[in-house]
Amino acid sequence: MLPLAGLLRRRFTPQVRAAITGLLLALAPAEPARSQSPAAVQLQVRLAPDSAGSGARAPIVRSQHLLDDGRWLSALRSGLPVRLHYRVEVWRSREGWFDNFEREAAWDVVVHHEPLMDQYTLLTIVGARARERRYATLDALSAALEFAYRVNVQPARPGRYYFAAALQISTLSDSDLDELQRFLEGDVGDVAQGKERVGDALGRGATRLLLRLAGLPALRLEGRSESFTVR
Amino acid sequence: MRVLVGGLFFLLGASALRAQDSVIVIDPDAPPGDSAVVRGGPPPGVVAELIAFFNDSTTTRMAGDVSFPPGSAFQGKLAQYRGSLRVAGRVDGPIAVANGTLYLLPGAEVNGEILVVGGRLIRGAGARHDGPERVFWDAAPVIRLPGGTLALRERRRPLGELAAARTTFQTGKVRTTLFLATGGTYNRVEGLPIIFGPQFELRPTARTVARLDLRGILRTAGGGSGLTSDFGYTTRAELRLPTVGITGRMYSEVDPIEDQPLSASENGWSAFLLQRDYRDYFERIGGGGALWAEPWRPLRLELSLRRDHERSVHATDPWSLLRNSDRWRRNPLIDDGHYFTTGFQVDFDTRNRRDLPGTGWLFRAQFEHSTSDDISPVALPEQVRPAPSTGGGYAFDRLALDLRRYSRLTPSLRVNTRLKADGWVGGDRLPVQRRVSLGGPDLLPGYDFRGFTCAPRGFADASDPALCDRMIAAQVEVRTRLGLNLGYRLRDREGSPSGRFIGIEEADLVFLADAGKAWLAGSGPSQVPVNRIPSFDEWKVDVGVGLDAGEIGVYLAKGLSQGEPVRLLVRLQRRF
Repeated sequence: MLPLAGLLRRRFTPQVRAAITGLLLALAPAEPARSQSPAAVQLQVRLAPDSAGSGARAPIVRSQHLLDDGRWLSALRSGLPVRLHYRVEVWRSREGWFDNFEREAAWDVVVHHEPLMDQYTLLTIVGARARERRYATLDALSAALEFAYRVNVQPARPGRYYFAAALQISTLSDSDLDELQRFLEGDVGDVAQGKERVGDALGRGATRLLLRLAGLPALRLEGRSESFTVR
Repeated sequence: MRVLVGGLFFLLGASALRAQDSVIVIDPDAPPGDSAVVRGGPPPGVVAELIAFFNDSTTTRMAGDVSFPPGSAFQGKLAQYRGSLRVAGRVDGPIAVANGTLYLLPGAEVNGEILVVGGRLIRGAGARHDGPERVFWDAAPVIRLPGGTLALRERRRPLGELAAARTTFQTGKVRTTLFLATGGTYNRVEGLPIIFGPQFELRPTARTVARLDLRGILRTAGGGSGLTSDFGYTTRAELRLPTVGITGRMYSEVDPIEDQPLSASENGWSAFLLQRDYRDYFERIGGGGALWAEPWRPLRLELSLRRDHERSVHATDPWSLLRNSDRWRRNPLIDDGHYFTTGFQVDFDTRNRRDLPGTGWLFRAQFEHSTSDDISPVALPEQVRPAPSTGGGYAFDRLALDLRRYSRLTPSLRVNTRLKADGWVGGDRLPVQRRVSLGGPDLLPGYDFRGFTCAPRGFADASDPALCDRMIAAQVEVRTRLGLNLGYRLRDREGSPSGRFIGIEEADLVFLADAGKAWLAGSGPSQVPVNRIPSFDEWKVDVGVGLDAGEIGVYLAKGLSQGEPVRLLVRLQRRF
């Protein structure tokens, strides 16, 4: 470390030295992809039966125990909507080389509590479509959050495949919710063109940053299916 | 009970569906339909049946948590609202539960129909039920009146419509939105622009939208900017069909000269916090129209015409949080005049997401042909540009290209690449407001802001304007996800360390390399022949490493030229 420290002192300004040191410290406790504690929220990825006879399988994705983790229920009861962003990727295994990414599918589930009605609204969003359901009890909500999703991304070409799934759970800020509402109303013009909406740019990034740093819960889970062969 | 339901079918909201479907099919290839939101819920007939049952004068009505202990017996119609009904005894008669849970505990014996709407039926081992049962998990849209009876509840307005600075109401077929918002940036010419006005929207069919957007712009920086007025405006009328659209605009607004080295929002934060405004601006007053088409989903073509009066504006002295006593960098003068511009733009976009893409292509090409008969050119060194003719007939062509590829090598390893080029392609040389530069956080972060402006030796201008005819830059970055746990986890009420995490738990580790060159085209000294791109050994190259936590990224980058220091950068969004 001494030669490195000397190099740092000689070559860089104090601010840059501090940043390099911070970066090294940040890297030090790095750990591999998040492991799933059995008692915590879990993401399962399994394979649907081969219905076509070619070996092509569809993934079935399911999250469990979300409301067993008190953070999410606490966030919901504090008025913060909780967003579950699911993503499933189809990967083709290749011997001796990087696996090939084939395609992906993503969908969102947004849950929020409406205190005046004491109900939980669960919004499932796939592409430009959404379906809203309401639940009056935690039992029903909890069961609904554990629905399994069968994703129609069965590969067709022969080869050996697997599915990688990710679940990002986060809280939505008010502005995100507003944006979501506008999206659901069909106001997608500017977004489709990649343009910022009026008033969003300056505030949105900062809001998300503050929400994130403020310790509002966020969680990312990953899972991978068994491999299978398409003939 | 396990019911398999097609996702599209599910989203279409077939009334036969029941809430307890345990497998939902997601079909990413399903065609879009006419309705954006389908609201589920128990069938109206079931809700009416529930209300009728509950309100029947012969029904025993209860609310909250109620238990029938072992050995108890009840005869007749039993209705429960909210809470839980726990039955461990005998019930002879039908049971209805509204927005609650029915527990049939061991030893329970129920003889009669069970209807649960808005909750679950949980049956313990040894519980016995003789009769039909129907369970709907979706909440019953009912409300309990003071007299104890149930009534149908009307749907509330969506939460999003309650935002204070934006309200929407419907008059006939026209939806009107009034809004008051910031302009999305902060700069040394306008300060914080405040935007206000109405938007009118008519949807004759589900996939056809006619929109009129009227926005006033109040500039808060005060006088001295040379702007035509402290007020600006933009009006936009648009007709959007499924695959084509037409747009008309009139505007009096402040535009940036280059869209780099920081995005509008990042630049706004830099100006507001640090009094560092990395963009230059000019005023544009005029109008135009565009016709666009999307023949198939990733491809978009746009043809546009516009006539602008483009004017120089000056930096003022808006407040900033730090360094407020410093002087702002001057805003460069531009070649004032009226410009008539014909533009053509092609977008090909297969990215999976717009904000944080993980895979796909983006190709964007913009060509513009501009003419002016009354240009008032800024005097530039002959080496940069021969003095343009001012008697009319000034015309130039400009082309901007942006090609990006987002790819995944493994589920946790990503490689993103970008090639960007911009500049003059024909006609007279570019006006100042179309010229380009390199250096700074976006394209060449290892080099100083405006490190390469093509200003000849001896040329001094405090605004440090971009003077190059052309630029090209290539970027590559490799990303992998890291668990960081940079922060502190609070203890929960029980004292175990599983509460909130203050800080950043995960981030992308990013390795980056960039290369670029900005130059003057021509045959003179320090110029590159018009028909040639500089060879790669003339490009400036930098490398770097960083941590990108999504909303904030910290990078260290260093130019490979001799004497370049390591630079620390903070970004509030992805680099590209």
